[in-house]
Amino acid sequence: MKNSTMLEMKGVRKSFGTVVALGDVSLQLNSNEIHGLLGGNGAGKTTLMNVLYGLYKPEAGDIYLRDKQVEIQSPRDAIKYGIGMVHQHFLQIDSYTVTENIVLGTPLKNRPTLNLDQEEQRIADLSKRFGLEVNPRSLIEELPMGIRQRVEILKALYRGVDILILDEPTTSLTPQEVDSLFQSLRVMVEQGMSVVFITHKLREVLRVCDRISVLRDGKNVLTLSRDEVSEEALVNAMVGAGMDVEKSLVFSATDLDQKVAHVGQKPVLHVEDLQVANEEGTPLIKDVSFRIHEKEIFGIAGVAGNGQQELVESLMGIRPVANGQVSMDGSSIVGIETRELLEMGITYIPEDRLQDGFLPTASVAQNLILGYQRQKPYRRGSFLDWSAIFRVARQLISEYNIMTPSASEVAANLSGGNIQRVMLARAFSQPAKFLLAHNPTRGLDIRSMEFVYSKLLELKAQGLATLLLSEDLDELLLLCDRIATIYRGQIVGVLARGEFDKYKIGRMMSGVETHE
Amino acid sequence: MSEQATGLGHGVASLVKGLIPYLLAVVASFIAAGIFIAAMGFDVLHAYSTILFTSFKTPYGFIQTLLKFVPLLLQALAFTVPLIAGKYNIGGEGQLIVGAIGATAVGIMLAGLPLPLLLPLVLLAGIVFGGFWAAIPAWLLYRFGINEILTTVMMNFISFSLIDYVATEIWRDPAAGHPTTVPIGVGGELPLLVARPPLNSGIVLALAVAILVYVYASRTPGGYELVASGANPRASRVFGINVRRMFLLSLILGGALAGLSGAIEVTGVQHRLIEGLQSNFLLLGIIIGLISRGNLLAVPFVAFFIAVLEVGASAMQRTMMIPVEMVLIVEALVLLFVLLSDVVRRR
Repeated sequence: MKNSTMLEMKGVRKSFGTVVALGDVSLQLNSNEIHGLLGGNGAGKTTLMNVLYGLYKPEAGDIYLRDKQVEIQSPRDAIKYGIGMVHQHFLQIDSYTVTENIVLGTPLKNRPTLNLDQEEQRIADLSKRFGLEVNPRSLIEELPMGIRQRVEILKALYRGVDILILDEPTTSLTPQEVDSLFQSLRVMVEQGMSVVFITHKLREVLRVCDRISVLRDGKNVLTLSRDEVSEEALVNAMVGAGMDVEKSLVFSATDLDQKVAHVGQKPVLHVEDLQVANEEGTPLIKDVSFRIHEKEIFGIAGVAGNGQQELVESLMGIRPVANGQVSMDGSSIVGIETRELLEMGITYIPEDRLQDGFLPTASVAQNLILGYQRQKPYRRGSFLDWSAIFRVARQLISEYNIMTPSASEVAANLSGGNIQRVMLARAFSQPAKFLLAHNPTRGLDIRSMEFVYSKLLELKAQGLATLLLSEDLDELLLLCDRIATIYRGQIVGVLARGEFDKYKIGRMMSGVETHE
Repeated sequence: MSEQATGLGHGVASLVKGLIPYLLAVVASFIAAGIFIAAMGFDVLHAYSTILFTSFKTPYGFIQTLLKFVPLLLQALAFTVPLIAGKYNIGGEGQLIVGAIGATAVGIMLAGLPLPLLLPLVLLAGIVFGGFWAAIPAWLLYRFGINEILTTVMMNFISFSLIDYVATEIWRDPAAGHPTTVPIGVGGELPLLVARPPLNSGIVLALAVAILVYVYASRTPGGYELVASGANPRASRVFGINVRRMFLLSLILGGALAGLSGAIEVTGVQHRLIEGLQSNFLLLGIIIGLISRGNLLAVPFVAFFIAVLEVGASAMQRTMMIPVEMVLIVEALVLLFVLLSDVVRRR
């Protein structure tokens, strides 16, 4: 198999306002290779690929395709040159079939009658050839995330691309789906294609990639082939100097048994036969029961959309409980208003920080007290104590390393990572018995993830009971004492530390297995 | 510490910085309107000096300005308080009228009471009636989610018929040529601060209320919840704020403020209910509220500026025969330029 240069990007520069997202980045891609693009959040991986796909216009830099310079102004140009991209969020029409979604925007054989038999046959062929199993006649809305991703890949293959870019493709997949995706990618490169695989997960890169490029702060750090790299070299390249990788939680082996303190005996949160329904009465959470003890991190794994949000909302008093019992410290909290729950010592990190946790036009200080505005020390008599609020805000800003000129800065000026730090600072600043954290590290860079992990473990050691819902299975394996798996609104199994098995959890996530 | 004085996120320094686009907007709108005035064949400089300085040349002009300032300030607050919570009260006019009706009714029915009793009752009636008039759309929003813009506007139309009925049927003053009621009891009249030309103490009341509203919004947990509900209702709900109740409250509060402005018109200026006493205060109040962009500290200053323009405009019409509408054009242009400066800054 011969490796020739397929594509080269040279000296790409792109900035957004004053922020330099890419400063003079170069990338060389061979045929027949899976090229890993590794880096933390904000390193510029996605930006670089969006430039290649014609979504961003760079200020400087050239693109050479098989040694010929090309101008890519739009995704249409990119596809013309054989470059396809699968984004983290799929652009699919739910009520269309797989075939209809794939052929949308391409010339059809039988346009007047919309007979798609020939197209369907081609899709079936592609699907067989690359091991991307999917029924072309299924409706998109009926498909799980893993299959929907295959549809997205087939969309690119159908358009005849020979360079395929995948942006964090494993985020919402079960371990089994990840394996099958990697097999398909291998088939693709064996047939002469090139694949760019964007990820922040080190182990995936080591498993599947032929060559690896690391980006950090919008700059190339290194490009090495698989047999040249060590895990340690990659870690150092990703995080740079100034972080102690040895002690790092993010990069530690998943077995943290020594670091995990003993779980307490006293149950803090007790959920029994919880049922939650939507407005039409369709059950979304069915007979969910679990207990979380003092000093315990209880994880919930599951593919997004299996009832996690509804579970969280019902526990927070935002969504009514249809049936069942939830109690904290032995007394029922069903039907209690959110404000009181916060006062009782439940603290919450919402998944969708912009929608559910953030006041864009208010100041950073005002954001830091949301939900606690009627509590001490923020309130004195019937007035707010602004000097106390600002004192606490300044403390939190420095403790949580929130990048802002001052506590009175309009919060909308913060970057995404800093907004998340505000959410964390607010949640962790309160004395709490029970923490409800939903994807607390989504969109965070490695340092911030590290910070969240150490904070969660620190609070656990102090006695906090934590319910951690995460789409990142590695995160759960790392931190949790027990992991429950949710599938279609039901807990299909609970594993305790010691019996953790990634593939077993994966099977439960896709509903093919239950435990107990 | 200036940082701490920023309940709504507007410190002294940022206030000064924030003033620049306003000044530019005012200058730009004067230039733009000047072109029209010149095209109509009038002396632009003379017109503008009349508009700007009438208020300050004579005691009469200044007191006229203060009398205009009171209802404008209250109407602007009636619009701004719900605006902070993200709701639009376009019913300040109806709330003013109904507040005035309430004040008049109490003032006539209890006409014999002495001032220490009657005056507070009359003012209270204005507040309660105005609040009630806003409570109807507020409740429709709370209970059924009906858009408050539509309902508050429609409540205005009902109030027009209501004032007509009260002033021509119930307490009609047969001597008046225009729909007018008989006067309220003497005990219901606001005491004068200055006898000649007469300035009633309504301005003290209005300023006190403006301060109270500012303190409420920037210094209390309730005010914080009001601001939060406007900034992001979903996040506020997730973190335990009863957002729908804040909407309800903000609209009723707005109605009460507008009702008070109606009561002050009755007790301070007219001493009776006269059809048309709402003038164009609603429109100007909305313009003031929008120029201030929900900043309660800015409202009194903007309201005073608009009052100066309004008084100057009447003088200009009397002395130079320039239509008074010209000033409305200037005011609208100020608003447009202020909004435009937002767009320019964002670029």
